[in-house]
Amino acid sequence: MTAAASSDADLISAHAAGDPHAFPEIVRRHRDRLWAVALRTLRDPEEAADALQEAFISAFRAAGSFRAESQVTTWLHRIVVNACLDRMRRRQTKPTVPLPEAGPGEPVAPRDHMAERETKLVVAAALAELPEEQRAPIVLVDVEGYSVAETAQMLGIAEGTVKSRCARGRAKLAKSLGHLRNRSADANVPVDGVNVQQQRQREAR
Amino acid sequence: MSGSERRHGTPIDPPWSVDLLADLHAGVLDAETEALLRPRVEADPEARAVLEALDATLADLSSLPPIPMPRDVAARIDAALAAEAHGRPAPVVSLNSARQRKYKRAGWGAGVLVAAAAAVGVVAVAIPSMSNNTDGAMSSFPQPSASREVPGAEAKPDLAVRGENFGPVIGDVLKAQNYGPLDNQDTLDGCLKGGNIPASKPLGVSPIQLDDRPAVMAILTAGRPGAFRIVVLDPNTCGPDNPSGVLADSVMSP
Repeated sequence: MTAAASSDADLISAHAAGDPHAFPEIVRRHRDRLWAVALRTLRDPEEAADALQEAFISAFRAAGSFRAESQVTTWLHRIVVNACLDRMRRRQTKPTVPLPEAGPGEPVAPRDHMAERETKLVVAAALAELPEEQRAPIVLVDVEGYSVAETAQMLGIAEGTVKSRCARGRAKLAKSLGHLRNRSADANVPVDGVNVQQQRQREAR
Repeated sequence: MSGSERRHGTPIDPPWSVDLLADLHAGVLDAETEALLRPRVEADPEARAVLEALDATLADLSSLPPIPMPRDVAARIDAALAAEAHGRPAPVVSLNSARQRKYKRAGWGAGVLVAAAAAVGVVAVAIPSMSNNTDGAMSSFPQPSASREVPGAEAKPDLAVRGENFGPVIGDVLKAQNYGPLDNQDTLDGCLKGGNIPASKPLGVSPIQLDDRPAVMAILTAGRPGAFRIVVLDPNTCGPDNPSGVLADSVMSP
């Protein structure tokens, strides 16, 4: 089988049939996107790497029983998200490690203007400040572009809960990113989050 | 919750809370409440500004760039999958070693990975003089890892292998960057040179106990995707001029 030309579903079948190159090809196709999900969800590159390694091993073992009721990408995301959520639950009492502004976190696109780059870093920092239960659905729906239904499936929660958590998270982000100003929204959003508006004003001086 | 939420006592007239407007924006409210609220919100400049702020927030989020997986992480995952592909399910979980890595990492994942890699030792090549015990049993020690100051003396590494089966520790070694008695990359490079093995930053490196003797296992890339090289060194004797300091050297590929 020419792995590069095959569909994900074909590769899963080939893997189940014993093709040793099929599963690594699936991993190669999707690992960047899954890495982004894990990193933005867990906020710690080392934990993200551990979660992904564990998730891929789990998927490798379970691939034989994969049924094409959902897309391979959704199935893989569900496994990765579950690995991340398990880790988040286990570390609930531990402080999280914020992503640095450079290095293993958000990438620096060389062709971007400085202002755009800063904005992306600021958005990533604001996202990292969200409570974990809101960050995961926002990463999946608003950053990665999954539907509410797919996200609900990945997270194992109701669609309404996905919408509701996204709504709460977006309200906080709108404030911390400086899109909402001087509203009576202060009761609804953190005052100690990343205040992009203030940061931008400071940077402009 | 089923997908939309009926809000009893939802205020019909402004001002509305940001939470309520965010719910409207996200489609949380039931159709009846939304139909009631939407035209009023659209007619209110302040509420409309909140919806626009939420739209701008969505635009910010969707513009975040992709994050490529770092090469070292990709190589580590390839190696773990290659180990899994060569292995058989093996219920080997080193709880003590997992507990020892309480800084930096949660232990349960390591247990899974140890199990995942448990059977790959079948392809590892050990120097015959090391042991004739091939039962592949793995044990764990609660002591901290060895250091250069006490090279393999009192301090014992927490990963132990008997015989030729190195598979049970590969998962843990892949997750470590602990040079143990070799101290640093330079010393490791020297030991690799002694075995005519190209020096490179290891995907994982850790002290191990090989038949109760201190050793260091390094897992290196092998020059092609998915392949990796397992090298076991004697920290007391290995060096640029001593080929016999390399206790084992094998390449695994998918």
